[in-house]
Amino acid sequence: MSPGSSHARHLAEAGRLANEIRLSVEQVSYAYSANPAQAPLFTLEATSFQARPGEIVAILGPNASGKSTLLKLIAGALAPLSGRILLSGFVTHSLTPRTRAQRIAMVQQESTLLFPARAWEFVLQGRHAYGRSLRFESKEDVLIAKNALAQVGAADLSDRWMDQISGGEKQRVILARALAQQPLLLLLDEPTLHLDIAAQIGLLDALRRLAGENRYTVVVVTHELNLAAEYADQVVLMQRGRCLRVGPPANIYQRELLEQVFQTPLTVELGSSGRPRVYVLPDT
Amino acid sequence: MLLRNILSAAIVASLLCAQVSRAQSAPAISSASPAYREVTDDLGRTVRVPQPVQRIVSLAPSLTETVYALGLQDHLVGDTDYCDYPADAQKKPKVGGAINPSLEQIAALHPDIVLVTSLNRFETLHALETIGISSYATDPHNVDEIITSSKKLADVLGAPEAGASVAQGMQRHLADLQRRIGSAPAKRVLFVVWHQPLISVGKHTFIADALRLAGAVSIVDSDKDWPQVSLEEVARLQPDFLVFADSHSQAAPSTVETLATLPGWSILEAVNKRRYAVISEAVNRPAPRIVAAIEELARQLHPDAFLEKPENSKEKIEKENPPPAAHYSSSPNGVQDRMALPGACACAR
Amino acid sequence: MRPLTLRRLFLQCSFLVVILFFVVVLALKFGAVPVSLYALGRDLLRVVFGQSSQISSDYGLIVVNIRLPRILLGIIVGASLSVAGTSFQALLRNPLADPYVLGVSSGASLGAILALIVEPHLTLSPLVAALLPPLGAFLGAAVTIAAVFFLGRREGQIDGNTLLLGGVITGSFISAIIMFLMSTLSGSLRGLSFWLMGDLSTPLQKSIYWFLGIGFVLAAGAIYTTASDLNLLLAGEKEAMHLGVDVPRVRLVVYIAASFLTGLAVSVSGAVGYVGLIVPHVMRFIFGSDHRTLLPTAAIGGAIALVLADTLARTVVAPTEVSVGAVTALVGAPLFIYLLRRRLA
Repeated sequence: MSPGSSHARHLAEAGRLANEIRLSVEQVSYAYSANPAQAPLFTLEATSFQARPGEIVAILGPNASGKSTLLKLIAGALAPLSGRILLSGFVTHSLTPRTRAQRIAMVQQESTLLFPARAWEFVLQGRHAYGRSLRFESKEDVLIAKNALAQVGAADLSDRWMDQISGGEKQRVILARALAQQPLLLLLDEPTLHLDIAAQIGLLDALRRLAGENRYTVVVVTHELNLAAEYADQVVLMQRGRCLRVGPPANIYQRELLEQVFQTPLTVELGSSGRPRVYVLPDT
Repeated sequence: MLLRNILSAAIVASLLCAQVSRAQSAPAISSASPAYREVTDDLGRTVRVPQPVQRIVSLAPSLTETVYALGLQDHLVGDTDYCDYPADAQKKPKVGGAINPSLEQIAALHPDIVLVTSLNRFETLHALETIGISSYATDPHNVDEIITSSKKLADVLGAPEAGASVAQGMQRHLADLQRRIGSAPAKRVLFVVWHQPLISVGKHTFIADALRLAGAVSIVDSDKDWPQVSLEEVARLQPDFLVFADSHSQAAPSTVETLATLPGWSILEAVNKRRYAVISEAVNRPAPRIVAAIEELARQLHPDAFLEKPENSKEKIEKENPPPAAHYSSSPNGVQDRMALPGACACAR
Repeated sequence: MRPLTLRRLFLQCSFLVVILFFVVVLALKFGAVPVSLYALGRDLLRVVFGQSSQISSDYGLIVVNIRLPRILLGIIVGASLSVAGTSFQALLRNPLADPYVLGVSSGASLGAILALIVEPHLTLSPLVAALLPPLGAFLGAAVTIAAVFFLGRREGQIDGNTLLLGGVITGSFISAIIMFLMSTLSGSLRGLSFWLMGDLSTPLQKSIYWFLGIGFVLAAGAIYTTASDLNLLLAGEKEAMHLGVDVPRVRLVVYIAASFLTGLAVSVSGAVGYVGLIVPHVMRFIFGSDHRTLLPTAAIGGAIALVLADTLARTVVAPTEVSVGAVTALVGAPLFIYLLRRRLA
């Protein structure tokens, strides 16, 4: 599949399915046990939600609530115990790694490189899924990579060594690599964990902009209540492996519900942007 | 452009390879002498020996010595770095060590035959075969086999009379020794190859056999050729004598002095009473000279059996071991060497 | 931004091939016996044009029968070890990995020792007898590869750390067996230590060279098809998978092919050290970490390094031959330290 045709495919798809369901998580459950004979150590109960192109979905919950597991299931890295995950009609787990990488891009928190590499080399890695075994990157690949760096505002970092840039800059380059994959679905696992507040805002602003421009569906796992409230179109609230509620932030951000999930006293108010805002109350 | 370059490189490469294969299939390293003789060497291999044998390369000091003893040293065109006896052998062109000789050097000497022993690696033998050079192996495990093997070697090299004469000389010498010391009880000895760690000789080696012929018996009873022996076991067995083989006469006495101070060694009677014998390193080489080393040891272990007037004994030895060829006695010290060796002095103090 | 192109790769490799050519010429010229290359070239041409049936002069035979096979062996073994080292460094994500870290060389050595023990008890034609140690070594390597493969799996797939542990322990265990054998056997295994350090001096049967060459091309070729995957694997296995790499398949192919290359090399030349460790780092230093360049340049670089080392080993105290493993160690270790400091600075 040459890059040209996949790009056309994306445009056509974006045009046709602008308001149709792109991601459909249907009654997906999972269980993990270290030993097949033992009882499972962790279970994810049947969870469902749907997302459209251009939407940002936040999977929200405290630690060990199953957020990362759900993300891995969506990414196709794990096979669900029951239920299925459809991306534009295809079951994600049954795709080959190559095809999957052309449609789903995962943004990690950090990237540990064994040997030094430059930012442009790093971003070019995103084009790997589009090539044959022994090929070298084409002009088109280079263009797409350049474009991706520009889109995240990191064009000037192109020639810098990855181990010599700051955490926030690195995060942008990692995002650029995901964009270079030209995916339909963009997945992020706690992307704001190591970032300062400015970088956090910057990243989420970029995500909102990109989701709108390129019609990505974005799924973000986070436990940052206020960021999720501000940027997400839909929130999936998880606790201890159960999905408690799915809906827009207004439906989810209710004081009793959040207090029960996060086990801490708080208040919910309406922020200046029209989105809910959570204030954690100190112990008195 | 690219394709053309690749093509021409491939042509050159294949030409070279073709040349290699042609050269390998028709080895012509030795002189264009068509006559061959097939013999079986000590390892049971069938060896094609070119006739007549003009150029010999020896890959072990013992073989070099044997070649000299057979009077064939003019045919010896190369030997190892360690071939030092007789002194003339040191002047021969060198091909490297016994374990790692230079194949090129050997090939450049155009030998008719290369002599090898258990000292050499199988790889060396295979390598010689691959480039078409005949190699003949000797592998004696006792003194009798040294005699027969030398005789067979002489026959292979085209000097059967010299072989017979050397064999006879050795046998007569041994018979004389047997006559003198045959009735005396064997002395129990520990042959010290190295003292730290303590390494001796196994019962299947020719050295053990040489000890036996010198009126001694090795207290080490092992199937291994160079066993590492436990000092406790030696202390339990309490040998009568320690035996050292040394080319430098000063080393052994100082070694024994050192050993006397070490805790484990000082409980040995032989160390305390300084009862040790030093013989020439010829005992380590399966060559005709080993008989002289055997006599040296016998003289030190059984001095009573040799009580005769010094001149008589010298004549006797000269009579029983005439130099096999004119060249042999041209080495300045010749027979006198054996008498002048420090081992001749009795060291049982 | 200058991504790799076929043209640039070709230029880099050609540059190295030219250096290899000069090194080969050097190796042909120098040795225990002086050789005039001009005269040899002249004779070769005469043979090519049918003016004489074969080269009969001294140096010709020495060069063609002894030196050329030795150089050829050096090229193949050097290339195999370097490619294997590069692959293991990527597979195990460990810059200190060398071809022997997974125990293949110990297994090969044990196989060779067992063959040497068995050889005197079998009546074999000289041809087969010469083949027995390399064959034993290769079988020993194969068994070790299989054993470590099964040890190195976790949840049914090869796992980098488990593989490393399994390989190191297997290697130590086999080395212990070797030491035990060497100290208790009555036969003399003298000269084995020479082989264990690495020895290119034994000319082999023609068919073995063919086998080595074809084996190298197949195995190195298989590894090369995963070159882009290896680049991504270095970023992390999870990331590689999300970027489209079929990680289990790549791991399996690289493990088997690289171990095969190591087994090939060790069975004919013993365990020559440092080549598989250092050459990949030098090439990375010069050409970068992209495996599409690194693998071919490491192969040619390894050939250059080993032929040079072997030439030194047989000329430095001629006619005695120094073990080639000693030369690679003496040169390799300081070089590694130098590279380390440059990278840190």
